[in-house]
Amino acid sequence: MDAVAVSDLWKTFDGVVAVRAVSFSIGPEEFFTLLGPSGCGKTTTLRCVAGLEIPTRGQIRIGGRVVSHPEAGQFVPPEGRRLGMVFQNYAVWPHMSVFDNVAYPLRVAGEPRKAITARVAEVLDLVELEGLGGRFPHQLSGGQQQRVALGRALAGRPEILLLDEPLSNLDAKLREQMRFELKELQRRMRIPVLYVTHDQAEAMALSDRLAVMAEGQIAQMGRPAEIYRNPATRFVADFIGQMNFLPAQIIAAEPGTARVIVDGYECRAENPSGILGQAAMAVRPEDMTLGDEGLPGRIGVRNFLGNLVEYKVELEGGLTVRVQAPPGEFHEEGAPVRVGIRRALLFES
Amino acid sequence: MPTEAPPVRPSRGRAPGNGLDMRVPLLAVVAVAVAFIVVWPVAQVVYRSLIVDGGLGLQHYHRAIVQPGNLRALSNTIWVGVASALGAMIAGAVLAFLVMRTDIPGKAALRTLLVMPYAVPPFFGAIAWAQLLGPQGYITRPLLALLGLEQAPFSIYSGWGIVFVMAIHDFPLVFLTVSGALERMDASLEESARTAGAGSLRVMRDVTIPLVLPALLAGGLLAFISSIANFGIPALLGLRARFYVLTTSIYASLNVPDFPLATAKSVLLAGVGAAALVLQWRLQRGGQRYTVIAGKSIHPQIIRLGSLRRPAFALAVAFAVVISILPLLSLLLTSFLRYYGAPLAAASLTLKHYAYVANQEMIRRALANSALLGISAATITMVLGTFVAYARIRARLRGAAVLDTLGMLPYGIPHTVIAIAMILAWARPPLALYGTLWIILLAYVMAYMPLALRTTSATLQQVHESLEEAARASGAGPLRAMRDIIVPLVRPGMVAGWILVFMPAFRELTMSILLFGLRTETIGVIIFNMQDSGYTQIAAALSVLVMLLILGSNLIVRRATRGQVGF
Repeated sequence: MDAVAVSDLWKTFDGVVAVRAVSFSIGPEEFFTLLGPSGCGKTTTLRCVAGLEIPTRGQIRIGGRVVSHPEAGQFVPPEGRRLGMVFQNYAVWPHMSVFDNVAYPLRVAGEPRKAITARVAEVLDLVELEGLGGRFPHQLSGGQQQRVALGRALAGRPEILLLDEPLSNLDAKLREQMRFELKELQRRMRIPVLYVTHDQAEAMALSDRLAVMAEGQIAQMGRPAEIYRNPATRFVADFIGQMNFLPAQIIAAEPGTARVIVDGYECRAENPSGILGQAAMAVRPEDMTLGDEGLPGRIGVRNFLGNLVEYKVELEGGLTVRVQAPPGEFHEEGAPVRVGIRRALLFES
Repeated sequence: MPTEAPPVRPSRGRAPGNGLDMRVPLLAVVAVAVAFIVVWPVAQVVYRSLIVDGGLGLQHYHRAIVQPGNLRALSNTIWVGVASALGAMIAGAVLAFLVMRTDIPGKAALRTLLVMPYAVPPFFGAIAWAQLLGPQGYITRPLLALLGLEQAPFSIYSGWGIVFVMAIHDFPLVFLTVSGALERMDASLEESARTAGAGSLRVMRDVTIPLVLPALLAGGLLAFISSIANFGIPALLGLRARFYVLTTSIYASLNVPDFPLATAKSVLLAGVGAAALVLQWRLQRGGQRYTVIAGKSIHPQIIRLGSLRRPAFALAVAFAVVISILPLLSLLLTSFLRYYGAPLAAASLTLKHYAYVANQEMIRRALANSALLGISAATITMVLGTFVAYARIRARLRGAAVLDTLGMLPYGIPHTVIAIAMILAWARPPLALYGTLWIILLAYVMAYMPLALRTTSATLQQVHESLEEAARASGAGPLRAMRDIIVPLVRPGMVAGWILVFMPAFRELTMSILLFGLRTETIGVIIFNMQDSGYTQIAAALSVLVMLLILGSNLIVRRATRGQVGF
């Protein structure tokens, strides 16, 4: 059975549609992410699942139980949903100690004192805050406050863990570290997670599956590798990873593939949506090669990234593309070069 | 993909299931209350100033401006306001620079001492300085003996005496604005001038002073606004010399009584104040535009005073003692002396003035009245303020912002004008409240509404919505979340806000002197009348008691807000 099932969810604010016919489900031990730019409706969707917003239409089920279904007049308030939630600003209560923050869901549930003490100790251990139960939030670093928020969300053994951009307030180094810890924690606890972020690298790293949202709708849903490899729309192609777009003229179309001319250079591209005529050809920087074959151009700026080298290549047609190459292969800035295309996708231009 | 919007379900507020669906009707009730307390009386003042023999006319304004005595009061108001503001600006700027930007010792203690005068009610300052610099004053007599003079070449009972006491009272306003600006200024602005080759005095002239100037002017305007609205100082120091400003001249017109003239003068006074206020707002906004506020304070340029360090410190301490300690000492001493002017010896000390104060039926009643009024005004304004702030900030109800603006309106209205408005609105049937405590209470509520609104908004804004939502997500219902999260977090701010209204209301003079009647005297009125009729020792004893209460309350506020509010 799915941990969370959302079907045909709509949410309007004063007549403005924020979430439009969103449907997805999360498996019992799945890490599921809503990814998209700000204003795409991802946070509103999460808040609808939490019960912090009242949906306009559609059904939400948590653990098989309907928690929200406006058409049937059903609405379970957040406190009745057995959630754990981590807020973007952590929302750690400043007037309570670490212990009291983490113990709160258990106290509200009326658990006996002994069980609370034992459970809090267990959770503090889990989020690596052992021994800090007596501290107050203002005595903690941002990373530690985040762990308190996480511990509080986990303490009550929730049916689903909701995370609203939890890493966006941390510095880059800590963010990387927390990414791994979050995923490890989720694997160990075997708990379903609904994660919201605008950071596509974070979403790719963490998620079992993710949904890319734009303008209140889900643009594409799938495993990270699948979305990266086969973006369904030009928006997704642009939003996920790096992508070069080149104007292309289709000269011969076959089922699923086409021959195109780019800047006078002829090559083959995948054409899943069967476009004819003009198209935008999308090529990942790692799907381009530098050599004697392909579009003529000149090396612009070179960027050494350690495990690979990134070049900006100014094509003779006037376009600039980004190309990644292994560090063994070396090109001088200003040197003439040809850009080959290994794999390309066609989208409506 | 579906593109058609589904039928819109009306959503009430943001947080669902709050069970607060009474919010909209409650808001309507509050709106009526605010209109009743604020809008209607103010409208009355303007309306009555324009009624001439049953028709509309400007005749009262003509009298208020052209008649020699009235013109004098108007011009006195302006020059006294400007002169005292200039005095406060000069002293405020110099001391703010000394404390914030030099290596003068004892900065923290100096700061605390320098803002003290603001906690002392202005008419207490007038009483104290009359005791110090009056014809028989503690300073005047030794000074005359020293100089071998018969009569002092100055009088505290004059325009300049008023300017002097007002400047002292308003000095902290300028000091705080300027030191605040100096504190927030990004040190890198000055450092970049240093790296461009400017010496520290050059940096001060080219960068620091131009950047602080808007704050200095804004502080000066605040001092001006506070001066022209003040009643206690010009009443105690000016009336016996027949030196009138607008506030005291309105008081005199009411005693005649000439209501139409009082209303016209009130509108003039409010107009001058509003003009200054608009200018101050614009300056402050302009200041924000180019005072780069970094938030983090790195080490600012500190000027080494070198051999001037000790003399500068001595002067700063002397100044602080004169404006903060001396007046309080004077009140204390006077309250214990057998008679005013008695030689300073143990034999001439007595407790009889305190005994008199404790036994006087009228004084006990006034203390009870003031306590009742202070407690009621603080409670009512905080409850209304909390409701408006909650509706605006948390529930985001439409109309709450309008209410907030309406509630802030009295901020720009001198208290004398508020009192006139109350008389006009509530002195006639069906609500003949004049002479009752109710009319004083209404005036207090109107006058202190802005203060309550600002503290409640600030407090509520500090509690982020997600803190409440986190409790809901943790399984707590709306009431439980309110009890466990919101209430404990806002309590210190609310307690502080309550006391911040209670303190000035308890010792209020300007409005109660115009509104009191038989048996509804406030303690401010009693102190004023005692001083005015020559019982300076009774006035001193009462002032000491009230000051103790003020200082005690201040301690509570500081503790409740961990030093963020108070002095």
